[in-house]
Amino acid sequence: MSGTTKPFRRNNPSGFDALLMLLIVVAAVVAAFPLVWMVLSSFKTPAESMQVPPVWLPKTPSLDSYAEVAGVINAGRSFWNSAVIATVTTAGILVTSLMAGYAFAKYRFRGRDALFALLIATMFLPPIVTLIPLYRLVSYIGLNGSLFGVIVPHLANAFGIFLMRQFIAGVPDDLIDAARVDGASELRIVFSVVAPAVVPALAALTLFAFVYHWNTYLWPLTVLQGNTDDYPIVISLSRLLSYNRGAMNTHLVMAGATLAVLPPLVMFVLLQRFFVDSIVSSGVKG
Amino acid sequence: MATMTRSTITVMLAPAVTLIGVFILVPMALTVWLSFHDWSTQTGFETARYVGLRNYQDIVGPISVGRDFKRAFVNTAIYTALSVAIILPLSVMLGLLVYQTRVRGGHLLRAVLFSTYMVPMVAVALVWSKLYSPAEGPINQMLGWVGVAPGTWLSSPDTALVSIVFLNVWQQVGYFTVLIIAGLTQIPNALYEAARIDGANPVQEFFGITLPLLRRTLLFSAVIAVINAVQVFEPVALITQGGPAGSTNVLTYHIRRVGIERAQGGLGSAMAVTLMLSLIVVVVALFAFARKGERE
Repeated sequence: MSGTTKPFRRNNPSGFDALLMLLIVVAAVVAAFPLVWMVLSSFKTPAESMQVPPVWLPKTPSLDSYAEVAGVINAGRSFWNSAVIATVTTAGILVTSLMAGYAFAKYRFRGRDALFALLIATMFLPPIVTLIPLYRLVSYIGLNGSLFGVIVPHLANAFGIFLMRQFIAGVPDDLIDAARVDGASELRIVFSVVAPAVVPALAALTLFAFVYHWNTYLWPLTVLQGNTDDYPIVISLSRLLSYNRGAMNTHLVMAGATLAVLPPLVMFVLLQRFFVDSIVSSGVKG
Repeated sequence: MATMTRSTITVMLAPAVTLIGVFILVPMALTVWLSFHDWSTQTGFETARYVGLRNYQDIVGPISVGRDFKRAFVNTAIYTALSVAIILPLSVMLGLLVYQTRVRGGHLLRAVLFSTYMVPMVAVALVWSKLYSPAEGPINQMLGWVGVAPGTWLSSPDTALVSIVFLNVWQQVGYFTVLIIAGLTQIPNALYEAARIDGANPVQEFFGITLPLLRRTLLFSAVIAVINAVQVFEPVALITQGGPAGSTNVLTYHIRRVGIERAQGGLGSAMAVTLMLSLIVVVVALFAFARKGERE
């Protein structure tokens, strides 16, 4: 595809190009502004961040806010908790999605399509619908108030199974049959033959799962029930707002938010080239 | 495609099916069951007492339980409708800006837009609460530069809900833009070439080719946008606590408050079931609407 006939590509007067360029710049600036403001404000002094009218650029940028954040919340511990939650949950999702996706893509069995439809339906269920009994159920199993309680209910999800099935369906049967002839077990085939063939999809799933579980707030807040030692960074961050409420907490909130945003953004920069492919392939076809 | 032994299939499916079964399907069934019971969330399921439809009568009734729920339901409906009505056209516009090849910058725009989707909603809520700050915030300052009166944003019942819609749109629109781009890549170039030979201008191309062929993408986007919108929680929990004057009390916040914090598990479950049924109605209506458009 030469790309010469995409929409709007024609020999129009250059005024149209200027308008397009202007729109792109405006959209990018509006989208980036809150994040830029967040980072700039984290370098301001407490007095600067409360000044009227607002100061845009800190006169003497300082990292004092970051040191203060570390004193108000246990930032290191919270970061560690978030890292454990996001990493373990993502690893679990990768494993369970690969196995189930493989079975749905490559096996024939009674009730397959009905089971698949039932699992996929859960993708569209807002978490609040199951929150109340789930809260009680998790405490029955003895997992409430702990990181296990945050992690275990989310070790499998419908989106992962769906994405993996879509991609594994495209892995040639010959490749799998050859491994079977060599005597490989089905589990071995999933992890050493199929998985390497769907690396882009695994990368996209890693991005989505890690970011979602780093950012998620409702479930950890509900299941941890005031166990501040196990709070992920997003819950600790919310406590910065109540610290010194109404007074000078803006610089703290901005520094804390900047810290919390970093890991998902780094993940995005590392893996972003995979996500468009995965969205195109996950069945969203025009 | 292979026919495998039952045990092989079981091994492959057991982890995912067990987890989703125990932690989503069973709780779903329990939510429906509990909605017909009087039950304190602080006690075991065995203490639930059957009350028939009383929870449902209460949440639509005239006493405070019903008034609060109906308010939260209406707030959520407004919030959802506004979010979808802004996100869909905006994501189509941004998608075209990223996808076009006349001028450079599309890839950069896509990266900036999608990066906002990576930001935790907690951070979004905190940062925007400061941006909206009436005196110390930059939004009113910039409005002042162009001669617009300062807004009340999160501090007035008239503007608080809309202010939360805006921050939600900012966070989510990058994701929907990528969905639209995915849809745009599926439109055959031959259609544009043919239209050009017939002398169509860009506006005619957009309404004659692009928009009709994006219908399925738009339907999918609308469904996802609705489901995402009813989950709004962090800005309300952190910034407004449902206020001022109940104007931002939305269902996810309200159901959690009733069902977890006040431990009225039966009432909360009836609200959750009502939310789910309403979602099903909306999604079915969206599909019917799209199908009607396809026939025409």
